[in-house]
Amino acid sequence: MNIHTPIRLTPAETALVETYTAQVGDLPGDGAVTVTRDRLLNDIKTSGLPTRRVEAWHYTDLRTLLRNVPAPLAAAPSLATIAPLVEGAQVLPVLHGAVDAATSIDGVEVASFADSLVNGTAAAGLAALDKDDAIGKINGSLVRDGYSIAIPAGSTVEAPIELQALHGAGQVHTRFPVTFGAGSRATFIERHRSATGEAALVSSISDIMLEEGAEAVWIILQEQGAEDTHLGQVRVKFGTDSKLRLFVINAGGKLVRQELRIDVDGEGSELTLRGVNLLGGETHTDVTLVLGHNVPNTNSTEIFRNVVFDRARGVFQGMIRVAPDAQKTDAKMACNTLLLTDDGEFSVKPELEIFADDVICGHGATVSDIDNNHLYYLQSRGIPENKARAMLVNAFVAEVVEELEDEKLVEALEGVISAWLEKHA
Amino acid sequence: MAAVQETIDQVRQIDVDQYKYGFETIIEVDKAPKGLSEDIIRFISAKKQEPEWMLEWRLDAYQRWLTMEEPTWARVDYPKIDFNELYYYAAPKNMTGPSSLEEVDPELLRVYEKLGIPLQEQEMLAGVQKPRVAVDAVFDSVSVVTTFKKELQKAGVIFMSISEAIREHPELIKQYLGSVVPTTDNYYATLNAAVFTDGSFVFVPKGVRCPMELSTYFRINEKNTGQFERTLIIAEEGAYVSYLEGCTAPQRDENQLHAAVVELVALDDAEIKYSTVQNWYPGDAQGKGGIYNFVTKRGDCRGHRSKISWTQVETGSAITWKYPSCILRGDDSRGEFYSIAVSNGYQQIDSGTKMIHLGKNTSSRIISKGISAGRSNNTYRGQVSIHRRAENARNFTNCDSLLIGDKCGAHTVPYIEVKNASAQVEHEATTSKISDDQKFYVMQRGIPEEEAIALIVNGFVKDVIQELPMEFAVEAQKLIGISLEGSVG
Repeated sequence: MNIHTPIRLTPAETALVETYTAQVGDLPGDGAVTVTRDRLLNDIKTSGLPTRRVEAWHYTDLRTLLRNVPAPLAAAPSLATIAPLVEGAQVLPVLHGAVDAATSIDGVEVASFADSLVNGTAAAGLAALDKDDAIGKINGSLVRDGYSIAIPAGSTVEAPIELQALHGAGQVHTRFPVTFGAGSRATFIERHRSATGEAALVSSISDIMLEEGAEAVWIILQEQGAEDTHLGQVRVKFGTDSKLRLFVINAGGKLVRQELRIDVDGEGSELTLRGVNLLGGETHTDVTLVLGHNVPNTNSTEIFRNVVFDRARGVFQGMIRVAPDAQKTDAKMACNTLLLTDDGEFSVKPELEIFADDVICGHGATVSDIDNNHLYYLQSRGIPENKARAMLVNAFVAEVVEELEDEKLVEALEGVISAWLEKHA
Repeated sequence: MAAVQETIDQVRQIDVDQYKYGFETIIEVDKAPKGLSEDIIRFISAKKQEPEWMLEWRLDAYQRWLTMEEPTWARVDYPKIDFNELYYYAAPKNMTGPSSLEEVDPELLRVYEKLGIPLQEQEMLAGVQKPRVAVDAVFDSVSVVTTFKKELQKAGVIFMSISEAIREHPELIKQYLGSVVPTTDNYYATLNAAVFTDGSFVFVPKGVRCPMELSTYFRINEKNTGQFERTLIIAEEGAYVSYLEGCTAPQRDENQLHAAVVELVALDDAEIKYSTVQNWYPGDAQGKGGIYNFVTKRGDCRGHRSKISWTQVETGSAITWKYPSCILRGDDSRGEFYSIAVSNGYQQIDSGTKMIHLGKNTSSRIISKGISAGRSNNTYRGQVSIHRRAENARNFTNCDSLLIGDKCGAHTVPYIEVKNASAQVEHEATTSKISDDQKFYVMQRGIPEEEAIALIVNGFVKDVIQELPMEFAVEAQKLIGISLEGSVG
């Protein structure tokens, strides 16, 4: 394909361009922010959304798959917050992309992201990560609001903080820059949920910065509607000796791309990444991890468990990149899939790109149906087949959730998983 | 070689069109002029005394090639190849077909001797009873001598150069050539289809177990001649054949392009075992020179219960771009891929396999061992694809990488695509260096460091070595040792 040939925009691309053109005067920010927005949108306009020819989008041809870009609503639907995932959590509501600037959490600095767009401090962060960063481009050009959060150095926030993003029909583009100050500790639950079940396009970027010695737990629970598109991205920068436990649960959406772009830039830091993809119906769900171990002496483990029902398609791409000189890196990744239907499919591309020699890196990937021996074991104890299957599927995914350790959180997430499985199995 | 330069000069002065009417020369090398055009293809085809349909086939491929773009997705980096700066045909002089080794140009024999090619004809004449290997030696594109031909004939096995086969068995060629790697397949395969000069053809008829290991030694000799080999192996129902391919190349300054195509067809209950030891010139200590090895190898398990197994030991070439694959079309068919890829100096390897499961109860196994040293980059790129109707497919993949030194890179890029719930696919990959404990253990028994590393590396690749035929296994182990020389300290 010759890049100089102007492309013919797909209806979805046209809709994105039109959304921008219609809103441009109204989007928060000016000066550098507008310049960045213009540039990002222009990229989409001139080169289009990525196709499968772009390696990072090999299994998710966004240009073909993104068909439905609903027009933004003229007026935001009136939505109300729901009960938090775990009792006692402090809720930061994001109702159809609008934040409540009055919400405050003790000991945590919370501000509207729109403010930093208006005062221009958000400009630098708006840029796309690379030329294939379609989510960064869409979100960067259209983002309206979100929360900017800072956990002050040395503080510990006991109760989990829930970013409760509920949406109706239309489009929502949000961003959540969160800084964990040196030595601070906090748990976040980022929750995306459809309130009305009508088709929506949601793009959301969480920008997580861990300063020296910070310890964070970040849970993403995506339960969007069966007609929704979810384009999520998590950007993480690790400081020295910091720790992150990141849990990603996808249990909804029609077209989902969840990108985890993680840079381990601090020596002695540690990433624990766990993911569960519950795929049913007609969903196409893609989780793409790009993990850079850029400095010596860092650890990471990644475990993903996927379950495929119906006509669902799942994708996991996991790239571990060990930079030259990033000696003593220990990185292990596993991606296990239960493919329970002949109409579904799952594609895995775990990648290792290693430029340092004193490392231990590995990945494993499996795809199979439920093991007949396991089934037989349970059936021989008088458990009927369908129940035995449900137990095995549940155990398969619940295993990774248990690593959260926090009892309340584990219980809540297991509840979500069981409820989903009951509906689909 | 003054004579060669003379030819080039002569050739430059002659209008290309004249070659259609025959190109005669009395100097040592018979060579087409530089560059690629329809006329060159006509020239090659005429030189090979090919029938008209073969020429058409080549020209079709050429037209297609003109519309294609060079692939860039592999993790390799090299200056752009000017395809008009290459020679597409060079043949050694003695074409009359010697009937015994005495008649073979002694110059050629001396080169073979240096390369250690076991032309075992002499041994057989002397009555030495050994496992026999038939050699179809390829010296710059044209088969010079074929041994054991008669014995193979007795078994009904056809083993000849592909040019001969085009003339003598056109019906088989028409049926099978391009049926596994179509002329439209990829840039280099298409180029090969247009300009291939020679290669081997093997046909093992129904129920025949080939009485010996077949072997071709490829060798790139002339300066700047791209080698475009074409190999076609067909095993009919219940047949078995083991084919060995070994390569060496002398030191050359300029990069040489090698774009071969190998096609294997296994019908019901047939088995083909294809082994390669590749040790072409990898370039000098500064990364200058060396062979570009852009090869398309594919096996088609067309019949039920058929089996194709690829084993490769890759130690040479500046750049390797090679994915021996299996299409598991027949029910209960099996594909295997065993690979050792050693890179040192500035070598770049992007190699792996594809296992395409189409039939029921198909199984595949991939064992890949990559060793990177020096400033090299070694990538495993593999695909396992279980199609919708491939019930009960099984795959096991294991790819391990070993890093020696902190300036090299080891990469693993597997693609796993599963569309059938009854499939069972397992993939595992690890990357690490030789642990100090292992090294210490060996060294404290008085073994010097370099030997200790060679020993550990040989242990690391053992799973693959044991898949090689005996003769190759010994050679391969030595090769790995030689390839890693100077990577320590």
